[in-house]
Amino acid sequence: MEGGGLKTCQLELLVNGRRLRTSVEPHVTLLRFLRDEAGATDVKYGCGEGVCGACTVLLDGRTVNSCTVLAVQAGGASVETVTALSRNGELHPLQRALVERGAVQCGFCTPGMVLAALEAVRLGLAGNASELRRSLAGNLCRCTGYGKIIDAVEVYRDEEAAA
Amino acid sequence: MTAPIRERTAGIVGSELVRHDAVEKVAGRTRYAADYGLPGMLYAALKRSEYAHARLGRVDASAAQALPGVACVLMAKDVPRNAVWVDVPGQTFQVGALKARANVLAEDVVRYHGEPIALVAAESEDAALAALELIEVEYDEQPAVTDPEAALAPNAPLVHEAGNLLASWQIHEGDVDAAFAAAHTVVEDTYRTPFIDHAYLEPEAGVAWPDADGVITVRAATQVIEHFRDLAKILRLPENRVRVIAPYVGGGFGGKEDMTVEPFLALVVLRTRRPVKMVWSRSESLLARQKRHPMVLRYRTGCDGDGRLLAQDIGIVADGGAYAFLSALVLLYATTCAQGPYRCPNVRVDARVVYTNHTPCSAMRGFGAMQVALAYEGQMDRLAERLGVDPLELRRRNFLEQGDTLAVGQTLDTHVALPELADRVEAGLGSRPEPSRPGRRVGRGVACNLQPYGRCVWLNDWSSAWVGFELDGTLVVRIGVPDIGGGQASSLVQLAGDVLGIDPDRVVIHVGDSALTPLTGTTTATRQLYMSGNAVVQAAGELREQLRPLAAELLEAEADEVEFTGGGVRAGERRAEFSELVAAAARRQVAWHRLSIFRAPGGDAWRSETSWRGRVFPDFTYGCHAVDVEVDPETGQVTVLRCVAAHDVGRAINPQSVEGQIEGGVVMGLGYALAERVVYEDGVNLTGTFAQYLIPTAVEAPQIEPIVVESGEGLGPYGARGIGEPPIGPPAPAVAAALADALGARLTTLPFTPERVAEAAA
Amino acid sequence: MIPRPFDYERPRSLDEAAALLARSGDAKVLAGGQSLVPMLSLGLARPQLIVDIGALELEGTDVAHGRICVGARTTHRELELGAQARELLPLAAEAARHIGNPRVRNRGTFGGSLAHADPAAELGAVVLVHGGEIVVRGMAGERRIPVEEFFLGYLETAVGEDELVVAVELERLPDGSGIGFEEAAGRADDFATAAAAAALTLAEDGHTCAEARIAVVGVADRPLRIAQAEEAARGETFDQELLRRVQTAVEEAVEPEDEAFVSASFRKRLAGVCARRALEQAWRAAA
Repeated sequence: MEGGGLKTCQLELLVNGRRLRTSVEPHVTLLRFLRDEAGATDVKYGCGEGVCGACTVLLDGRTVNSCTVLAVQAGGASVETVTALSRNGELHPLQRALVERGAVQCGFCTPGMVLAALEAVRLGLAGNASELRRSLAGNLCRCTGYGKIIDAVEVYRDEEAAA
Repeated sequence: MTAPIRERTAGIVGSELVRHDAVEKVAGRTRYAADYGLPGMLYAALKRSEYAHARLGRVDASAAQALPGVACVLMAKDVPRNAVWVDVPGQTFQVGALKARANVLAEDVVRYHGEPIALVAAESEDAALAALELIEVEYDEQPAVTDPEAALAPNAPLVHEAGNLLASWQIHEGDVDAAFAAAHTVVEDTYRTPFIDHAYLEPEAGVAWPDADGVITVRAATQVIEHFRDLAKILRLPENRVRVIAPYVGGGFGGKEDMTVEPFLALVVLRTRRPVKMVWSRSESLLARQKRHPMVLRYRTGCDGDGRLLAQDIGIVADGGAYAFLSALVLLYATTCAQGPYRCPNVRVDARVVYTNHTPCSAMRGFGAMQVALAYEGQMDRLAERLGVDPLELRRRNFLEQGDTLAVGQTLDTHVALPELADRVEAGLGSRPEPSRPGRRVGRGVACNLQPYGRCVWLNDWSSAWVGFELDGTLVVRIGVPDIGGGQASSLVQLAGDVLGIDPDRVVIHVGDSALTPLTGTTTATRQLYMSGNAVVQAAGELREQLRPLAAELLEAEADEVEFTGGGVRAGERRAEFSELVAAAARRQVAWHRLSIFRAPGGDAWRSETSWRGRVFPDFTYGCHAVDVEVDPETGQVTVLRCVAAHDVGRAINPQSVEGQIEGGVVMGLGYALAERVVYEDGVNLTGTFAQYLIPTAVEAPQIEPIVVESGEGLGPYGARGIGEPPIGPPAPAVAAALADALGARLTTLPFTPERVAEAAA
Repeated sequence: MIPRPFDYERPRSLDEAAALLARSGDAKVLAGGQSLVPMLSLGLARPQLIVDIGALELEGTDVAHGRICVGARTTHRELELGAQARELLPLAAEAARHIGNPRVRNRGTFGGSLAHADPAAELGAVVLVHGGEIVVRGMAGERRIPVEEFFLGYLETAVGEDELVVAVELERLPDGSGIGFEEAAGRADDFATAAAAAALTLAEDGHTCAEARIAVVGVADRPLRIAQAEEAARGETFDQELLRRVQTAVEEAVEPEDEAFVSASFRKRLAGVCARRALEQAWRAAA
């Protein structure tokens, strides 16, 4: 992009496998873009500061707080939200574990928590409860007290390891 | 009116059923208040006061109105009825019969930092925020009233003309002074609790739109759909032209009990006839949303040589903030529960809530009854220490029992499980942990509490529910209950399924619509399982009995041989599906649905006298918790190693849900104990970000072992008691006791921040 | 809240970036955005132009001229988990573990953290302990700023208006050094109330301190290297008594300000405690 400062930018990216091509103003965060333009209301606004983790998405396979990323920074990238996990209608095993263990109350933190937990397990950073809690410290929950969430993720981790 | 049906039918109640809403939530499909959009939707935002106390001069919105994309800018004069009146019940004889006023938009005075002054609606969020910046407000700053005790002095600056005392309650039982004179041991201290924020993950949000027949519909994150009546008053519309829908709410905890976005959304719809969305930012919510009342609790407690309580002299001063809202009731809960779950023949309570120029304080989980727990438990610990008695043993000597009467005059009709709870906690604790490294200190503490469930009896609470079959034999429940995450809706599915013998998978529940679902009252006061649960059980039971004669005919059996089970009716070997039963009902013009109203046992209104005796609440839930902590004395860091939390829930309709409520309440209580506080300076709220307001993360939250005791003697369905609020009471006093055990010093001001702990450890 | 509008550029070269910064005069550099974007959302920053350096190749950890070179866009996650980074910069790896949460670490960058210069930023202590230079690039070309001269005040550095941080060149710690890092924070992932980084080299006899390096953050408007404490340790027998003296020296050397949530005296105390613990970790790790 040459010339003076841009007031709108062309943006092309994948959202849950769907290609989007549009223009966006640079001050629009990825969170706002996903919710308002891409229809991904499963990504939640909780604080806008990058503290609560409710807006967690996968950006090129890595978890980020989408409220701290500008939409324009995601050009050419692949964004996945929690919806991507159950695309064929079936719940992902981690999602099933959370449901079966009573780890979902108001559910507002849940989409972000699922993605953060999956990454922790995938990277081997959830070896025990203490390490797992550390990995999830950026995903706040006000309802559950975290206990059943931790239990569910550990069950999922052990099932994955055994499989 | 049939009494709540207590016998189990299909074994659905009490099983660890997966909550039906959990699947949608984990898949990200649930649409919360902000997840709706409509074509042509506007965005609304509020211009808020930058001062804690100021006279308003000119408010110039002309530049804002002229900005392209701005649909309207509204101020107090544009609100059809700007004053919202709240009854302030109780002993307000010092202030006169009181109706407290709050304004939708500020008129000539702003009384707290963040008070709404003007309302903007624009085509986009960007335009709305740009418009806010163009609104010019002339402030004439006034001195801020910030200390509730100082605010009661004769010449203190006034928050409202009628005076700074918002409400007061008093209890005089027995002869406190004589009892102290005769007491063996007397302990005295002052305990302080802070401003607390609900900090739900979902900020306040809603969408509103104009609908057919001039109805304005507001779909907002709320705990109370009955606010349609308040909105109708504000808009000067008939009540039947306002509709409130509560979607699944992302956490409430009392913070969505008063109206939040609703009046502003409704006003924009009224003015523009267009749909509109409003979402508060986290900063906005932290700055300006109602808080938990801070309290200064002065306790003097006397006992005999065996540690049996003889006298409690209690003074409570609560900071009510700038407007009354639910302050008088919060104070009432604090007053009646101030003595704790203990017998005491002589009790004096002098409780006041005072106006200041802080954020208005209102409902929050625990509602006054939880703040006093720090004090009444601290006093028990002090007595135990002075007498050389084990803290739990001292409590055992004083536990209330069924049949006892609280100082306020309320007799405890149901089983008081405290001794068993104490036993279970003691057994669950195990051996004391060792310090994890040299220099660290460990401590153990216990605390008990009582928390009312159900609303004050003189409010004559009621709840209605509709239960009905479809032609294919599936079941529908319609009930106005807002589900704020505690499984309110799914437990009703379980109950209906249990009474009628139908698998919960074949039950659908429609909730939270003031136009389309029978009203059931607020999701507050730990009342929904008690009230809505009983209403659903009643409606389902009445429906069953209504269809029983038909079923008997269909199965060629006696009426009392018929069982409702397995998705149909059965008598001996003969079976019929519900679809067949409904077909038979259709042929015979017998209704296959039922609307029923459950009425809670009522009571007389509280009278304005110097002291009062009488029944206040339907019942209480009792609890006992214990915590083990490890302290790093140099940094003041407190690690909660584990927590054992026992409650008598009467009957666990869904045990997993009950555990979840206990665990969540414990962690919220630990945040309150160790880290959470809203900090003001001269009335200006400094706590504007989630980075500053420290709710516990997965790291701070300990391993929690919930112990669920089922005495069967609650007033809810199947003997259930409420469990939403009770677990939040014991954690802070338990931590205080554990810290005293670890450090040999007793902290009495919450939160026990690292700085305060380090100081105590030095 | 949401960010207010701004103009945006995504330069494809360092020269282009410098030119954009110079021309604007009211621009901010966007790398990982973990400090900047929240500030934009909270209304704490309202630049006219954002210069996104996401297209510039400024990653990687390398050894060159006897120093460890870290590209400015190296993320905290790479420092924390990357094999090469952990081997070359164990102190940075340890400090990075404390930065925010995994989401923040996946995006936040070394250069971005230094350029933002939050007084509580962990990496500020790390670079002071190592010593070395921050490499910046502007209209006048490349410039090297010694770390001791980099931090000028609260959110203020020696980086010029038309310059951006391109790399960090850290001196290797003496052979056989042990490192340590200790943080006191409100919660697991929060900004540090106080934190300390330390490196210790023992003399050949194995119990005399040859050199101690101590830096603290969170107690001033910038990270501080505590020379008085380092002097107190040099040449002394290393034991618990010495650690206590170091703690006192650090405590006495810092003058934080009183603040609504934490008092100055408590911050002082925490600084001393963190410094002592960091140095003790370094001692145990030293060869």
